[in-house]
Amino acid sequence: MDKKTAIYICTGCGIGDALDIEQLKEEGTEDFSIDLTKDHPFLCAQEGVDLIKQDIEGEGVNTVIIAACSYRVNYDVFNFGQGVIVQRVNLREQVAWSQPPKEEDTQMLAEDNLRIGCSQAKNTELTEPFKAEEEYSKDILVVGGGLAGMTVALETAKAGYQAILVEKEDKLGGFLGKMKSTITMPYKELSDPGAEDLIKAIEEEPKVKVYTSSTVEKISGAPGLYTVDIKSNGNGASERVGAVVQATGWVPYDANKLGHLGYGKFKDVITNVEMEEMAAAGKITRPSDGSDVKNVLFIQCAGSRDPEHLPYCSSACCLVSMKQATYVKEQNAEAVNYVLYKDVRTVGQAEDFYRKAQEDGNIFIRGEAANVGEAGGKLFVEADDELLGERVKIEDLDLIVLAVGMVPASKPETAPKIKAPADAEDADEDGMMEVMPDSGFFANSALNLEYRQGPELPTLKYGFPDSHFICFPYETRRTGIYSAGCIRRPMETAKAIDDAVGAAMKAIQCTEATAEGKAVHPRAGDLSYPEIDMKRCTQCKRCTEECPFGMFNEDEEANPLPNPTRCRRCGICMGACPERIISFKNYSVGMIGNMIKSIHVPEEDEEKPRVVCLICENDALPALDMAGIKRMKWSPYVRFIPMRCLGSMNLVWIADSMSRGIDGILLLGCRHGDDYQCHFVKGSELAETRLSKVSETLDRLALESERVKFVEVGITDYDKIPVIINEFMETIEKVGPNPYKGW
Amino acid sequence: MENMVNYNPSFAEEVFRDVDSGDEIKMCMNCGVCAGSCPLREHMDYPPRQIFSLIRAGKREEVLSSKSIMLCTSCYACVVKCPRDIPVMDVMHGLGHYALKQGYVPRKDTANFGKEFWNQVYKLGRIDEKDLPRRVFFAGGFIAGIKAMLNFMDIGLKLMLHRRMKLLPERKIKGVKSLQKMLDKAEGLGKGGAAA
Amino acid sequence: MKYFLYWGCSLEGTGANFLVSLKPACEALGMEFEEIEDWNCCGASVSYAGANDLAIKVLNARNLAIAEAEANYDIVAPCSSCYIQMIKVNHEIQEDPELLKQVNECLAEGGLSYKGGIKVRHIQDVLYNDVGVDKIKAKVSKPLNGLKVAGYVGCQSVRPYGEYDSVNRPVVQDRLLEALGAEAVPFPTKIRCCGSGIFLPEIDYCMGLVKDILEDALNHGAELISTVCPMCAMNLEMYQGRINEAYGTDFDVPIVYLTQLMAVAFGMDLKKDAALNYNVIPPEGILKAAIG
Repeated sequence: MDKKTAIYICTGCGIGDALDIEQLKEEGTEDFSIDLTKDHPFLCAQEGVDLIKQDIEGEGVNTVIIAACSYRVNYDVFNFGQGVIVQRVNLREQVAWSQPPKEEDTQMLAEDNLRIGCSQAKNTELTEPFKAEEEYSKDILVVGGGLAGMTVALETAKAGYQAILVEKEDKLGGFLGKMKSTITMPYKELSDPGAEDLIKAIEEEPKVKVYTSSTVEKISGAPGLYTVDIKSNGNGASERVGAVVQATGWVPYDANKLGHLGYGKFKDVITNVEMEEMAAAGKITRPSDGSDVKNVLFIQCAGSRDPEHLPYCSSACCLVSMKQATYVKEQNAEAVNYVLYKDVRTVGQAEDFYRKAQEDGNIFIRGEAANVGEAGGKLFVEADDELLGERVKIEDLDLIVLAVGMVPASKPETAPKIKAPADAEDADEDGMMEVMPDSGFFANSALNLEYRQGPELPTLKYGFPDSHFICFPYETRRTGIYSAGCIRRPMETAKAIDDAVGAAMKAIQCTEATAEGKAVHPRAGDLSYPEIDMKRCTQCKRCTEECPFGMFNEDEEANPLPNPTRCRRCGICMGACPERIISFKNYSVGMIGNMIKSIHVPEEDEEKPRVVCLICENDALPALDMAGIKRMKWSPYVRFIPMRCLGSMNLVWIADSMSRGIDGILLLGCRHGDDYQCHFVKGSELAETRLSKVSETLDRLALESERVKFVEVGITDYDKIPVIINEFMETIEKVGPNPYKGW
Repeated sequence: MENMVNYNPSFAEEVFRDVDSGDEIKMCMNCGVCAGSCPLREHMDYPPRQIFSLIRAGKREEVLSSKSIMLCTSCYACVVKCPRDIPVMDVMHGLGHYALKQGYVPRKDTANFGKEFWNQVYKLGRIDEKDLPRRVFFAGGFIAGIKAMLNFMDIGLKLMLHRRMKLLPERKIKGVKSLQKMLDKAEGLGKGGAAA
Repeated sequence: MKYFLYWGCSLEGTGANFLVSLKPACEALGMEFEEIEDWNCCGASVSYAGANDLAIKVLNARNLAIAEAEANYDIVAPCSSCYIQMIKVNHEIQEDPELLKQVNECLAEGGLSYKGGIKVRHIQDVLYNDVGVDKIKAKVSKPLNGLKVAGYVGCQSVRPYGEYDSVNRPVVQDRLLEALGAEAVPFPTKIRCCGSGIFLPEIDYCMGLVKDILEDALNHGAELISTVCPMCAMNLEMYQGRINEAYGTDFDVPIVYLTQLMAVAFGMDLKKDAALNYNVIPPEGILKAAIG
């Protein structure tokens, strides 16, 4: 497109007082061909916006550079529709609010910011949404027919979309169908699990198609375009869907590993699951001789919150034991229930049922079981009572119930092995290697995805599918595939229903956004997508391996086969590509390179160092904005360049910067590791890995490695930003100016 | 293990049944706010929540002879603070009453003071403030009584000099007989357990 | 504004200065009082040693029943122990109709019955909510001119029901003190217990409580401590000598009833009405200096 570019400088919010606007107009734009340059004292007001609109309509302006506040604010005000490129330049948070007014360094910073913006606008092209050749499907595949899965299917249907529900058993219901009662809102008493009603509702719902005794054999394609092969009672079936929800549930922790609590040794020591099934089948009796039960002891956290067994809390077991204690009392009002607990965790309103259990006279003992034994045909438990500070003995027990926790159905018994690639270092004699939980090859079979990165969802350390727990709970590391219920985390029925509703909504959103060529979270609505110049591809596989979302498949020659609807638009592939052949219409290696090049680097004798800060726009940039809003001050020598994700950082930018005389490069990205905060899961981690190789570049240029630094920043760390910057500036001062200045 | 405590729910049942407000302790979740808010906590052998744990475990002897159950100043701090709305103070009073009835004396002076107080209320319908301490002091024997009396003589004297000690003996209220009938009825009808 | 005044046993003895000052000060504000016919003791907080809970409730219900039969006035109970014992019966029978039945079964032995219709009020409640700060201010002829007073609320005058003031951060007494021209000093221990009814038998344990309260008041600049409870007044005033002996302190701070300060600020007689001569630690000097 032929660009007609106009710059609008806002002089409100203190910008006009901090800067020489006329000089800015002149110096900041001289390297670029700009058609119009205007300023306004209150650009985001109607009058200011109208001024821009007049120029768009009257003058044919189609590229608008707004030099004002952060692009994180007023993005709705400065939106002029699909055909107009809007480029924001920050003169407020990063300049007027964080630098002393009317100083030379402040002015130079503003001028550089404007140049960077002009350069970016010059390199930005209008986006055109991706459109697949095949027709998009908006149907939702639900794998798993328990409470969560059935609820997803019904909610999907209620919202007007077709659901396809696949259940491996011959009957829907999952564990819900095996329960005697549930405790749910308002947590006052027991209620019917309602499995039969739910199954009936599904059977009567025309928009839910049910496959029982069925498994998913293969899912190929991408969001909006999936083909699902189903094996149903020995026959094959095929469906096309737009998104998938995995709700394959949980299994109880293996009580055979709890011999120290008497399981396997005494017949009257059973698990909470066995207790539930016994209660549902009729009467609770002693398994040893079928006699009546009077004294029952529940051992909470049986294996849970124990590093040797199940290290986490399943959050439902306390409530389950209280429910089962109620069964016991219903059967025999004289019965005595003891609950031996570490902490009672009845989350939220479930506390009300804890109160009820106390009112019923159940005896709660805080402590851990030390010994389980048998005497005179009855069981006893010795425990360390933490409140009495003594070892206590509870005797004459008819039944001991082990409250075991929930393990995601996806978690394999032992880590699976796959055939190792030829160059793998950790392959065994047979050429096999163990896979890590965060690989798509780890989890038990459920989806059988035809993805280069493996057939299942990558999981976190306990085997639950990886998701961005805080911001995007239902999202997994496969775009268009969502998880709900106990496969996502342990939970009770009320929470599973909430989860199912949330996941159904996300799946529907995904099919809608995909059909319009838009990205799902976190860049929701983004119309750009990666384009590859295949002629120059060297089949190095970095993009196919590094994409956290499995966007690329691969052909036999190791050529990457992109599936744009799987893409989250983070640009990690762009950062990974050594040939720099992956780019977006509005984000590319060349664009960022040019932005860096547009920075004016003063001569060494001016003693004005220059640092480029590549800053993640998800957490670090908002933190920087906040620091500006709080009027914190930092060095005027830093030039910030926002990144979609630090994982999109390409090492060539560092080489480019260094060879142009930039004194240092600071990278601010999200926390990574087990409790990562990266919006693209692996981006900041990959950036740091890549950075470990930067020393080669620096060595080649005979430069000090201290010139490049990576720092993890959380969104709440605004107070640390000035400290991080100023400390880095001190380092740069110590190391001295970059000898490449002026070359 | 030698000193292992055997859990025995029968004492808890006894407390639920016979002690005024005793059934309220079922709701205790052992947070310890009662102890934290109690002005005399540092002088207690067991803080309230531990008293409740001991009851659950069945430690009758320890509970009924614990001085904690008679160290309540009735300031209601624990009642206001308890997240489970347990009237901890009432439970303590109930336990104190029950212990005395069962022949325990968790706290001698307070027990005497309280008993004498009630005796006066029962006999006169009102309290004679100068007579009450005398009776309390002499409850422990004559010599000890003289000593204790002399000990507080200064305070009594000062009160008298500032017209804050009624010199005439307190007279019975007119309706004392009918009051006694009401109280007798209540003693039979209410909780608090039978004397051991 | 007519009320039953249930002053209780203490106000006839150790708390006499409360009753002596309360009557003229409150009557000057237009309040009229009537005695409950043949009232009995409330049982205070130690009766549990001799009586079960129901007996103590019946004891209080008798007074309520007599008052209810006599007239439809609110009962004002200046002694916090009397107040809490009575109000507690009212609250508990409201929550538990079965209890009301039991109470009435007992009252019937003396030919009485109680419906639960009578309201029990604290003196601070009535002064603050019925009379109001403005009316009190208007009555002040000798303002206390910034006299620094620590308003000691204690326990039972607000806890546990908090009918007229916060149980955790009460302010009513401070507002009333300010109405009299005094400066109510901040005073974190103003709701800490003084040992109340068991001070005497547990003096060794309770002296520390009073010491902390006195210390806190003085550290916050108080020249005087005001109270609305005869047990608080007794414990805070009469044992200062003992505490000085035990802790090596030198407390000598006057403890006065709020109503005594009212009588002083209303320009009434310092002896006859304000009953300052009843105080063992004399407050006259400080008060005279304040009113000028």
